[in-house]
Amino acid sequence: MNTVVKIKDLVKRYGDLIALDHLNLEIEQGEIFGLLGPNGSGKTTTINCLLSLLSFDKGDIEIFGKEMTPVSYDIKKDIGVIMQNVAVFDELTVYENIDYFCGLYINDKEKRKQCVDDAIKFVGLEDFRKFYPKKLSGGLLRRLNIACGIAHKPKLIILDEPTVAVDPQSRNRILEGIQELNKNGATVIYTSHYMEEVEQICTRISIMDKGKKVAEGTKDELKRMIKNTETIIIEILELPDKAYSEIASLPHVYDSRFENGKLSVYCSGGKHNLTRVLDVLQKNELGFGRVYTELPTLNDVFLEITGTALRDKED
Amino acid sequence: MQVFKAMMKIMRKRLPSAMIYIIVFVVISILVTNASTKDNKFEVTKLNICVFDEDDTPESRALTEFIGKTNDIDEIENDRDAIIDALYYKRVNYALIINKGYAEKLAAGDTADLFGSYHIDENYSVVYIGQFLDEYTTSVKAYLAMGKTVDEAISCTEKALSQHTDVDMLRVDKGGNSHYSVDFAGYFQYMPYILIAAVFIVICQVLVTMNKKDIRYRTNCSCMNSSKYTTQLILGSGLFVVSVWLLLIIIGAVLNKEMYAGRAWYAVLNSFIFSLVVTAMAVFVASFEPKENVLNIITQVLSIGMSFLCGIFIPMEVLSDKVLSVARFLPAYWYVKANNMIADIEPFSRGDVLLCFIVEAGFVLMLIMLTLLVRKVKYSGAAIANTAKKAAVSH
Repeated sequence: MNTVVKIKDLVKRYGDLIALDHLNLEIEQGEIFGLLGPNGSGKTTTINCLLSLLSFDKGDIEIFGKEMTPVSYDIKKDIGVIMQNVAVFDELTVYENIDYFCGLYINDKEKRKQCVDDAIKFVGLEDFRKFYPKKLSGGLLRRLNIACGIAHKPKLIILDEPTVAVDPQSRNRILEGIQELNKNGATVIYTSHYMEEVEQICTRISIMDKGKKVAEGTKDELKRMIKNTETIIIEILELPDKAYSEIASLPHVYDSRFENGKLSVYCSGGKHNLTRVLDVLQKNELGFGRVYTELPTLNDVFLEITGTALRDKED
Repeated sequence: MQVFKAMMKIMRKRLPSAMIYIIVFVVISILVTNASTKDNKFEVTKLNICVFDEDDTPESRALTEFIGKTNDIDEIENDRDAIIDALYYKRVNYALIINKGYAEKLAAGDTADLFGSYHIDENYSVVYIGQFLDEYTTSVKAYLAMGKTVDEAISCTEKALSQHTDVDMLRVDKGGNSHYSVDFAGYFQYMPYILIAAVFIVICQVLVTMNKKDIRYRTNCSCMNSSKYTTQLILGSGLFVVSVWLLLIIIGAVLNKEMYAGRAWYAVLNSFIFSLVVTAMAVFVASFEPKENVLNIITQVLSIGMSFLCGIFIPMEVLSDKVLSVARFLPAYWYVKANNMIADIEPFSRGDVLLCFIVEAGFVLMLIMLTLLVRKVKYSGAAIANTAKKAAVSH
């Protein structure tokens, strides 16, 4: 595999505040690489440094094997950027907008026309070519924003929280689009604080906190880093202490809680954990309602590594 | 030329607003030009007079007939209310009553209490008729004193008063020369207002749009060379400003009905330099990325404010020294000063006119430097760093 992005010992300071603390990242070709972290964890600073929009104090950044500088136009021509905010001209139509941003990369008129048509088709805006952005719904506007960033067919696509304030339907469409772009050969860097999205599409994930990389790996690798492998939840009206103690002492159970008629059993590894818990309930002749299990999420990973929930940090 | 093309497309949307200013300016210029041409004509006007002859003698009838030769005699009922109504509604300018005993008094050389009159106020018509009657009776009295009979005296008086003098209106200009009249100078005097309004409405808005934070971010991420990008922005802005300026210059030539010559070229050069000043001002204001409503306020304050302070709307000679001392710090002051010199409203001196041009050019340089400074702060890594720092600090 070729390394597309290589960040080595990146340090960015704002006075006494360290925004990026010796950050190291390597992103391989064909990956959908997720940068996950709460607001202010350094995701956007990393992207800005990566794109040479921001100078940094220490470290090296290489893209496509070459050092990235503000004037590395040969590198920039293969990068597509899609930001959180929609960056289009209200005065230009859908087609003109895509053509403009594509034209910043491709001079050849014929080639550009083809690229613009492909991008319009890709995001499904064929019926809105002559529409002005103000006439588009929020979801369509996001699609236009994406089309403007990918029309020149970049090899590396950077998406900085592209689904903020997007309705679920449009969000799914955007995520599917990113996966399709990846299938077509593009390497994707995806920053978000939405764990579900990152879990859904990223092949490899780096979790950032306070400017540092706290964990990195595939979704499964990250989940294996933590103790919890399964959480069993059973709705039960009452649970005598004897039965509760029996459950807590079952093999692979490392924690359990009974609150508001809900029993949560945290298991670490092993098989048949659910059967064993249900056996205890039957043996004690206890009736129960809904039974379900939850696999660990990236939030659990984040919680265990940093001691704080990712969701809490957003607030 | 992608940036240039996009700029042109965005400009096209803004053009109607700018055209409204230019059209209004041209219409006003045409009206002013036509109005000033009429000042050179002289026409003899006739007054509407009604005469009530209470004496009814050959002498009084002769006077009525003579009045009717140079004025229109209207007949009105001899009733006070009817006369006042006619005067009020301006159907007549003057109601003359020839008192009974007019002929006798005139023959005796007594000119007192010969006439009565109704009139609304002491306007020029009243004064004119009063002077005429006074002149008439004084002349008759003089001829009688010379030993002529009453008939001879009246005849001689009418002959003497029928003498006409040809009148030619000569306009006393405050300045002007063969190639650059005061009317033409007036057209150029108002040009800064239109240039500021039109250029700000279009260029500022377009530059603000092109430099919107998110769009700028996307552009900076692209492989478009930043100097190429800036060059295309300058080219687009320049093309618009030169087009507007050229249009105004052509309209000026059409209104003046002759091609620019002699000193008029100084005015053309003056307006060109000022259009550069306006462009630099627009680029400077745009660098702050004001919102549309704020930009409209800035445009009005700059265009109207400068016009009042610098002698565009009000002639410089009427402005107080205090106002002029403040106006010196504004580019329009030097434009108007140069224009006044070119039109001989102020003594012409080539050196002084060039000095005004240099000061205007100085404003251009100063504004460019200020713009570069603002852009350096706003668009450099510092701006992005600031945003990133805020995020990091909030964390």
